[in-house]
Amino acid sequence: MASRDGVRSAPEERLVNLVVALMATEQGLTKETILGNVAGYREQREAGASKDALEKMFERDKESLRGLGIPIETIGDYADPDDLREARYRVPTAEYALPDDIAFSPAEVALLNLAGGVWSQSSMSADARSGLRKIRALGIAVDAPIIGYSPRVSLREPAFRPLQTAIEQCRVVRFGYLKPGDPAPRRRHVQPLALVEYEARWHVLGDDLDAGAERTFLLSRIAGEVELTRARFPEARREGAGERALAGLRAVAARQSAELQVRPGTEAELRLSRRGTRDGQRLHVPYVDAHILADELASYGPEVRVVAPAALRDEVVGRLRAAAQRNGGPDA
Amino acid sequence: MPEPRTSVPAADRAALMMQLVPYLIGKGEVPVVEAAADFDVSPQRMRELVRRLTVIGLPGDGGFWQLPNDLFDIDWDLLEERDLIAITNSVGLERTPRLTAGEASALLAGLRVATALPGVGDSDLVRGLLAKLARGASATPPDVIVAPAPVDSVRETVDRALRERVAVSFTYKAPDAAATTRTVDPVKVHLANGQWYLQGWCHLRQAMRTFHLDRVSELSLTELPIEHGEEPVPALFEPGAEDLVARIRFPASIAMLLGDYLDRAEVSVEAGIATATMRVADEHSLRRLAARHGGAVEILEPAGARAAARRWALAGLEQYGV
Repeated sequence: MASRDGVRSAPEERLVNLVVALMATEQGLTKETILGNVAGYREQREAGASKDALEKMFERDKESLRGLGIPIETIGDYADPDDLREARYRVPTAEYALPDDIAFSPAEVALLNLAGGVWSQSSMSADARSGLRKIRALGIAVDAPIIGYSPRVSLREPAFRPLQTAIEQCRVVRFGYLKPGDPAPRRRHVQPLALVEYEARWHVLGDDLDAGAERTFLLSRIAGEVELTRARFPEARREGAGERALAGLRAVAARQSAELQVRPGTEAELRLSRRGTRDGQRLHVPYVDAHILADELASYGPEVRVVAPAALRDEVVGRLRAAAQRNGGPDA
Repeated sequence: MPEPRTSVPAADRAALMMQLVPYLIGKGEVPVVEAAADFDVSPQRMRELVRRLTVIGLPGDGGFWQLPNDLFDIDWDLLEERDLIAITNSVGLERTPRLTAGEASALLAGLRVATALPGVGDSDLVRGLLAKLARGASATPPDVIVAPAPVDSVRETVDRALRERVAVSFTYKAPDAAATTRTVDPVKVHLANGQWYLQGWCHLRQAMRTFHLDRVSELSLTELPIEHGEEPVPALFEPGAEDLVARIRFPASIAMLLGDYLDRAEVSVEAGIATATMRVADEHSLRRLAARHGGAVEILEPAGARAAARRWALAGLEQYGV
């Protein structure tokens, strides 16, 4: 609190002071003015911090604020735009604030409240709540909450957040990807374009730079950290990517179908019949990924038998055999 | 309510302060507890945020410290005596900041989930909102899309029952149990991991119950008005008293694939191998879990469940004559 007593003030105070200063100026402030006058920098300068350290702090602060979506404009030297020594900085109010003409009706806010509530404990939940707070701060009345429904989307994959950031900043990423059957993850080099949840699993659509083609990856198969590189790609690549990913997944499901024999009255029948089409004694179920369907079919044990394709059948048999072995007795 | 995460980056705390100013101006005067709840922080943290605000302001001029008018100020008496917040001087930040790309993205994706529900929001309302959110963002929000689950006649009928406030009657087939006929006062429909659940007052059990909609058949509306709509609704996956304690072992690297199974489990990891102790509804779910993960999951306890899992997998194999 006592920032004037020579005590180092909290970094968030310095950041907010900087925003207030940069919004209050029309023509912009030079770095020199900022470091010498804005509270937070000024104390540190007076306490003997080096010019270099202060400048680095200012650069970091600018990055932090841009990360929050705060537009910091740099007005360079007109004669030499690359010369930033005399650059002036400002935050244009029009780009900082929610546009005046955006208003939300009470019905819209009620719907947004429901929309913001779908993310159970995750980074998306924090983002949604923060966004809702901004909208509510506009002082809009809200319709009665939409009752009767509680939709939830779960998001456990640690790869989600870094991929979302990478998409937002159009940055190329690297990650290890473990395909079932491979002994070890393979490094992938990808321009991520969109995140899609399909059949309760998260996928990322991206340009696979090694393969030279668009590919869809399952987030649960990403092994280890997602690394954001410095390389960037044009934002235009992202246009329509979400719909493209969804259409791609649907097309794969339409192409691949498992022929199954399902015992009537079982859990397997209950779960599978809604997704498939019946053909006499057989059920045809479309699928996106043979390994994921094999996981599910194996869980049904004797309730389902895979007729075709043979590769899927082999996957299921392999799982059942391994499960029996792993859970055997001492003599098994 | 999520309590403040342990180490919130300074940038996030700064973002909070920048949201706080227009919020407080809009409210005029607001109890600390209310503001704290709106910002997902403790009342103590809210008081601290407000105090911090009063050392923020315009830069001093020409080497002078700021004058009081250059700083944010609040009504201190109101805060100290009545725990109310009111801004008395503001020096900027009065406007609500734009949504960040991440905030817009979280709301846009959530909106698509919400509008896939039967009867929620008409399409014009949604289209308008999608456009406003995109325009109110500081950068193009990343595409995050949740594919809508298909809506069938069972779901539509449940939706009608919720709206018309009448009971439904249906056949219910619980996992590994005989089918029963139920009459239920519908209270809430939950959608989780692509699965739909109906919560309501079950006339047969005389209590609130949760029904997986895939297990519901021959559903019809009744003429009975809802009588037990106001009873407290339990959490979606509340452990029942009859639960069984199980212990399983698996490579720690596949923990993510076990999903909700581990939500209430105690997990210890040693040399890459995880052991989890948790409550499960019955032994049947364990044999399905073991078969699903094809040897990666080993059931340690109870012994009966381990033997059942082995029999289950062997019975499956038998169909293939291998």
